[in-house]
Amino acid sequence: MPNAGRPMRAVVATLAVSALALTACGGGETAQSGDVTLTINVFGDNFSLPDNRTVYDEYERTHPSVKIVENRSDFGTHHKNLQARLTAGNGAADLEVVEVGQVAGFIGQPDKFVNFRGEGVDTAQWTDAIVARASTADKDALIGLPTDIGGLAVCYRTDLFAAAGLPTDRAAVSALWPTWKDYVDTGTKFLEKAPSGVKWFDAGGHVFTGILGGEKETFYDAGGELIVERNPAVRAAWDLSVKAIKAGQSAALPEFSPEWNTGFQRGQFATVTCPAWMMGYIQGNAAETTGKWDIAKIPGGSGNWGGSYVTVPSQGKHLKASVELAKWLTAPEQNVKLFKTIGNFPSQQSTWKTPEVAGFASPFFNNAPAGTIFPDSLAGAPAQVVGPESGVIGNIFAAALNSVEQGTSPEEAWSRTLADIKAAAG
Amino acid sequence: MTQGVQRSRGRQRWRSRLHRLDRSVSPYLYVSPFFLLFAVFGLFPLAYTAVISTTAWSPRKPGSADVSVGLDNYTTLFADENFHNALINTLGIGLLSTGPQLLLALGIAHLLNYRLRGRIVLRMGVLLPYVTSVAAVALIFNQIFARDFGLVNWFLQPFADSPIDWRADEWSSWTAVAVMVTWHWTGYNALIYLAAMQTIPYDLYESASIDGASKWQQFWHITVPSLRPTIIFTVIVSTIGALQLFAEPFLFDATRNNNGGSQRQFQTIVLYLYQQFWTNGRYGYGAAIAWTLFLITVVIAAINFLLARRISSTK
Amino acid sequence: MSRIDAHTPRRHPPPIPGGTALGQSTRRHRQKRRGEGGLWITYGLLIAIVLISAFPLYWSVVVSSRDKSAIGRYPPPLVPGGNLWDNLQAAFTQGGFGIALVNSTIVAGTITMSVVFTSTLAGFAFAKLRFRGKNTLFGLVVATMLVPTQLAIIPLYIMVTQWFGWSNDLRGVIVPALVSAFGVFFMRQYIASAMPDELIEAGRMDGASTLRIYWSLVLPIARPGAAVLGLLIFITYWNDLFWPLILLNTSNPTVQVAIANTASGIEVDYSLVLAGTVIATFPILIVFLVLGRQIIGGIMQGAVKG
Repeated sequence: MPNAGRPMRAVVATLAVSALALTACGGGETAQSGDVTLTINVFGDNFSLPDNRTVYDEYERTHPSVKIVENRSDFGTHHKNLQARLTAGNGAADLEVVEVGQVAGFIGQPDKFVNFRGEGVDTAQWTDAIVARASTADKDALIGLPTDIGGLAVCYRTDLFAAAGLPTDRAAVSALWPTWKDYVDTGTKFLEKAPSGVKWFDAGGHVFTGILGGEKETFYDAGGELIVERNPAVRAAWDLSVKAIKAGQSAALPEFSPEWNTGFQRGQFATVTCPAWMMGYIQGNAAETTGKWDIAKIPGGSGNWGGSYVTVPSQGKHLKASVELAKWLTAPEQNVKLFKTIGNFPSQQSTWKTPEVAGFASPFFNNAPAGTIFPDSLAGAPAQVVGPESGVIGNIFAAALNSVEQGTSPEEAWSRTLADIKAAAG
Repeated sequence: MTQGVQRSRGRQRWRSRLHRLDRSVSPYLYVSPFFLLFAVFGLFPLAYTAVISTTAWSPRKPGSADVSVGLDNYTTLFADENFHNALINTLGIGLLSTGPQLLLALGIAHLLNYRLRGRIVLRMGVLLPYVTSVAAVALIFNQIFARDFGLVNWFLQPFADSPIDWRADEWSSWTAVAVMVTWHWTGYNALIYLAAMQTIPYDLYESASIDGASKWQQFWHITVPSLRPTIIFTVIVSTIGALQLFAEPFLFDATRNNNGGSQRQFQTIVLYLYQQFWTNGRYGYGAAIAWTLFLITVVIAAINFLLARRISSTK
Repeated sequence: MSRIDAHTPRRHPPPIPGGTALGQSTRRHRQKRRGEGGLWITYGLLIAIVLISAFPLYWSVVVSSRDKSAIGRYPPPLVPGGNLWDNLQAAFTQGGFGIALVNSTIVAGTITMSVVFTSTLAGFAFAKLRFRGKNTLFGLVVATMLVPTQLAIIPLYIMVTQWFGWSNDLRGVIVPALVSAFGVFFMRQYIASAMPDELIEAGRMDGASTLRIYWSLVLPIARPGAAVLGLLIFITYWNDLFWPLILLNTSNPTVQVAIANTASGIEVDYSLVLAGTVIATFPILIVFLVLGRQIIGGIMQGAVKG
């Protein structure tokens, strides 16, 4: 009995040594000279689906010495890891996709990225607004090339509108809310005769973001100063959102949570601020509601939610090849293909006139002409000024509006928000 | 003959010197692997973090790594309302979860110690929460504590006029998080107690039950006294775990910025640290929070330990 | 070395209230009935606890055997559907769970063996050996447990990736975790209560070296504790998410990282995610069965000797 442990320990020790040896060999790649393996980190279906990587395969076919390896992680982890790896100067992929709301946090570190301004990129492909978001304030550096974009519209449930006595035709609905104030007023009218338990929209934070989408300067001014407190546009957006919440229009559902999915399935809200990618989301999570949706214009006429940029961290070992791949991935032809296979709406203006994009309409959404609605919302969008903590400030406001939805007094929530913003960004 | 005695005595002296060397040196050899590895991978990063806490480093502001602010981060932290809030949350959730968890674990371990049929399955079953993946835990408890269509609210329907928003208030969110923590860690502690119970001879229980003692009496008079060192161990470890609580509030949080509730209702200290350090990118401030937590933990663990020693010596 | 009867000294049972020799026969009769009722309560309680403990795992299987909209459904589905095999297959092909399982086994296995080995050594030293500075050093060990994991992430990341070059390498996950203060503390408490001093003294008198005492006397007695520690450490590092998530990529993940990656994207297929968690949990249940026997074996030892 006492010596039963000995042979076990020998086995164990051998295993341990061999395990360490195995991992030591496992890390590297044996590449022939001239062959290049490019890694690209994404946070979702940016360029591929889990079972479909035709875009990468096509590039590998036309560039035989290049192999592409994609790494996916979830949204939050991806961006936090990217920042950690940029700080450590090690560990980032050759290409990193950054979401439009997060890119502001990386603009202050232009030396960590390849500057696309010197790489022969035709920036006129995109609207000024989109290019400006990934550029430094002095426009000297462009750290990312735009891939897909969200745009903004309002997706609404025609059956719930009919039940509440509102028009259902999308032109008539769009005419109901030329401004956000009209949107809130329509909501009051909706609630008068709405089916029980149904609210006007899913979360106050989305209304707030939607309203600010039409402003040039929101949290920062053109000089880089934090102007949250004294910007009347921010206060007005807050007051309108609070008014809507207090009128009981919000279903108070946290976005991207299973509860939000249930909200779609059970029709807990009649409207939702809808970027292009939301169409795929609703279809995937609430398939039984097909045909009950339609798409109307966003109040205020313009806005954007979501979209990404392809960046090339400067710590990479294959900068030239990475830049080539980045330019190819963001070229109009590839983005039309991506739209067809994955549904990511292309940001390149020339694609908006192609038949595949312009003529796109889905029976799920009552054949609404999505291919023209979303570009229209982007055409008039102002080139918004963003600062390093714009993303953080946006999240602080979302949490504050959520607390108002949970019953906090708006004044208290407002003063707490300002204090938090000062601590985070001041 | 004297030569042989001399030689054997010489050998004896050499052997005893070797023995003395063995007894004086080997303890240090035995503990050295731990300290060596810790020095490299624990101590050095710790010290470096202390250095970071004296700067205003934020990766989004290049050059801020070299801006030294001395102890400013700590003075700001001292006056920071959000930090006070996190302290209260941590203590509240800790009290709600630690006590019941350990008592439950003790009771479960005692029951599992008996020669029951199918005890392998039962012992395995009790540890399942610890085995369950973090992702699954998050999804399931979100479903249980959902506001509109959650399981608990469904049960409470006849008693409450409107569904409870579990994340909205302190008491409700603390309860929910405490339930998650208790569910997760009770089996773990039960197993530790169970292992320690193996050192208690079974015939003590036999003779006690022959003498007519109930299971409850056996528990209080045999099990608990023998387990004293283990109980002290679990109390200290659980207290440290409660102070460092992160996973459960993090998973329960529906906000994208790790706020621990729309008004930080259940944001614990480490969640606050994670938010400031990782999400908001304030490395200097985050490092200060981490070091302050470390110091608080040292103080509380020391108090804990001394109290436990006091209790065990008076008993 | 003489055979030492590793017999724990018999302790006098403390006085039990209500137990006198006279009342024995009647009490025994009453005891028997109370014992039976007590047994049912014991079983009932334990089964209820196991059901509560197992429910989330069961529900994971239910959701992973359905389609992606199942997670948002109300009332929530409680009976398995038919998609389990498809989702498991998809998890392997799309989620890279094959590599993830191998990686997690290497990581958790290596760490477990190292932690049990070093903790038993150090625990023995702190529990039973005498040396200068013992209490200070042990205090230091406990103090290191007070350090929150998130504290030193950035410096550790810089160290592991820049100095050692272990970015996206399993060694970066394994090496910082090779020793555990918790393990040392645990084994110290265990050996202190399970190992009688007289045994060691007897071994010393027989002229045994410290290593001999450790190998032949301490290890067998420490085995149940070591088995429990091994099990807990294995599960801890199998389920570890935070650090591997920063260090590793999808091409070289552990199972928890692979699960987190299946939850990426705007449209998350939760049935796939939970299929991943089912795959992740299976190996641990097997490990439990294997090491579980060790624990049972230790109990049998204690019962025979005691």
